[in-house]
Amino acid sequence: MRRKLISALLCASMAAALMAGCGDSGKDAKETSTSKSESQEGTASSGSDSNTDFAGEELSIMVSAGWMDNRYDETIKRFEDTYDVTVDLQTIPADQYGDLLSSKLTTDSCADIFWIQSNPFAIASQIVDPEKYCIDFSDEEWKSLIPETRLSACEYEGKLYGLQIWHNSPEYVMVYNKTMFEEMNLKVPTTYEELLDVCQKISDEGVTPWFVPGADGWQHQLAFFQIGGAYEDDQPGLYEKLNNNEATFADNQLMIKVLEQYKELSDKGYFGEDWIGTDSTNMINEFGDRNVAMALANSSTIKQIKDETGTTDEFGLFLEPLGGNNSFPSSPAGPTMFGYKGTAHPELVKEFFRFVTTTESLQEILDNSPAYTNLHVNDDKLEQHWLPEEEEFMSTLTDEQMKTPVLQNGTKYTNDYWMQFGQDMVAYCTGQMEANDVLKNMDTNRAEAAKVAQDPAWN
Amino acid sequence: MNKKRIYPQWFLIVPLVLYILFFLTPSILGVFYSFTDWNARSLGETNFVGLQNYIEIFTSNKNYTSGIFNTLKFTVVSNIVKLIPALFIAIMLQEGLKGKNVYRTILYLPSILPFLIIGLTFKSIFNYNTGLLNSFLDALHLGFLKQKWLSDLGMVWKSIFGVDAWRGIGYVMTIFLAGLNTIPKSYYEAAEIDGANFWQRVRHITLPMLSGAIMINLVFGLTYGLKVFDIVYVLTNGGPGHATEVITTYAYQFYSTGQYGMSTALNSILLVITAVIGVVVVKVMSRQEVQQ
Repeated sequence: MRRKLISALLCASMAAALMAGCGDSGKDAKETSTSKSESQEGTASSGSDSNTDFAGEELSIMVSAGWMDNRYDETIKRFEDTYDVTVDLQTIPADQYGDLLSSKLTTDSCADIFWIQSNPFAIASQIVDPEKYCIDFSDEEWKSLIPETRLSACEYEGKLYGLQIWHNSPEYVMVYNKTMFEEMNLKVPTTYEELLDVCQKISDEGVTPWFVPGADGWQHQLAFFQIGGAYEDDQPGLYEKLNNNEATFADNQLMIKVLEQYKELSDKGYFGEDWIGTDSTNMINEFGDRNVAMALANSSTIKQIKDETGTTDEFGLFLEPLGGNNSFPSSPAGPTMFGYKGTAHPELVKEFFRFVTTTESLQEILDNSPAYTNLHVNDDKLEQHWLPEEEEFMSTLTDEQMKTPVLQNGTKYTNDYWMQFGQDMVAYCTGQMEANDVLKNMDTNRAEAAKVAQDPAWN
Repeated sequence: MNKKRIYPQWFLIVPLVLYILFFLTPSILGVFYSFTDWNARSLGETNFVGLQNYIEIFTSNKNYTSGIFNTLKFTVVSNIVKLIPALFIAIMLQEGLKGKNVYRTILYLPSILPFLIIGLTFKSIFNYNTGLLNSFLDALHLGFLKQKWLSDLGMVWKSIFGVDAWRGIGYVMTIFLAGLNTIPKSYYEAAEIDGANFWQRVRHITLPMLSGAIMINLVFGLTYGLKVFDIVYVLTNGGPGHATEVITTYAYQFYSTGQYGMSTALNSILLVITAVIGVVVVKVMSRQEVQQ
């Protein structure tokens, strides 16, 4: 009888412990946080020292590698000192970021601030339910800082959710070593055939013609997508048809041709000995050491090469010639910062956004960005650092060449499958797939995304 | 005195509730949702779609079946490359080897490291241009042995198996050592007196007496292999291209893009494969126990 009693007591205590464990601690935390917020709002409105209201709190930021780098370090440090808080910066490898963010959002365990590579369609397709996951910043003063062309990538159904602080330099055009080209008597290629010829001559000199960092997982597919203008020129109205589900990637002859050209360059070794296993960490040094002659990169890479390697070589920019492209890769997109609605520190999050949008912070961010020469924001007090190479290149372009946005940002659901398309491209280049299957997969993926987004054009 | 201890059946209630609540219910729900179009937008209005998700998996141009094949391949090969070396290392360490405790510790250490750390470390070691391995080969003037460890189709699985073996051999070895300790020394002494050499002793005494440990390692290895995810995800993320995709990496991709129905369908396939293999292994084990 005594043993039975002890057993029963043990069972009861186990059950009690289980129930305690299953208690909704999240709710408690939210309640605590709400009352904390309310108290903060009260304090702020009463005009007391609001900087100390956040003392001891921790703000977490989840970002893909390459979107913040070290350029925000000083600003974050100043923010920590000003508000006596700790910022936990979680930088995720680019090839894992999209998957991880989706998982974090759907499991309600996201960081206080998160980033996405936004474009006019990205909020709906990547965040899916911004009302549920994002803090509404519509009433914030910093809204006026965002240029009109970038607002569409930060807004959804009339509400402002994101903050995009990005540059307006030529993005992912061909950067080349002008001095090496002159030494080898090479002309800037304007067609694919000329590119092949140039690559062969550079390769003969023991130099990698075109640096492609395939291991990053997100860079090599740029060669296909940045020439959206060529696809649109080839089939006028293609973007609109793709957005209305009236056209497909599959069987698009120019797209197939571009993939074939890309594979040919890969097969001939013009991307280097192991481009699939090479990441971009060493790209600047490779340029500085004259081991590579070209890369699809941002114009500000030139500044980085000169600053970091001390090379005396001159560099220039030209349009990527795959698929007979003659268009500039216009892009209204860029990494964009969002506040997570489920955060325990909503006021601190809002304060962070206000803090980084002050002129002082923006200047700090720009000055600490070797990869930026300017920031595309409406702030006249900001001192920009445009490069002469950028100005020279931009002066050669006509409005007609700049009218079409890049494929990934001009068509719906395309950018969401950026990484998968990159994997498929590698699979194609290594003989695991056919070119048209790569395109078919993109169609399948877009259709799935459209289904999830309940897009009437697909349903 | 042989006193039978019979406990009341209601002792089962708590574990049974826990089992039903945290294992059985989610599993059944998972299988149920695999027959629906459940996705990130459809919470609350999920529709029954029959076998559509399964048909998609087996007929899609995305070749998800390669993920199933790769999972089975990983399960078989990773067991072979761990079990055999671990068995021989355990036998060697069981013999009168000087400093054997140090070797045991060194061999066991990798198995306590997280997969994430191991994956990231080896990813860096395997880098073709800047990695430690190729630099080491260069330094030894063995440049001809340099490989694209993680980007060459012929090499990538070998690299994964190598890393997996490096981590897992110590663990498998420990179970073998525990089994070896239970074999009476007198058997070996008798065999030596009868003139049996090392290999004969291994074949006729060690292996039969170790069948329990072998079976345990096999079961652990099979379940580990079938649910493999982290080592592949961190080292290759299923690449180059889709060469090393396994069921779980595809399931993760579906989940992360909000296609929960498809994700649960893939996991249900994994469940079926695991159950079938599990039943076979249990039957074989039961038969062996009866024979012993």
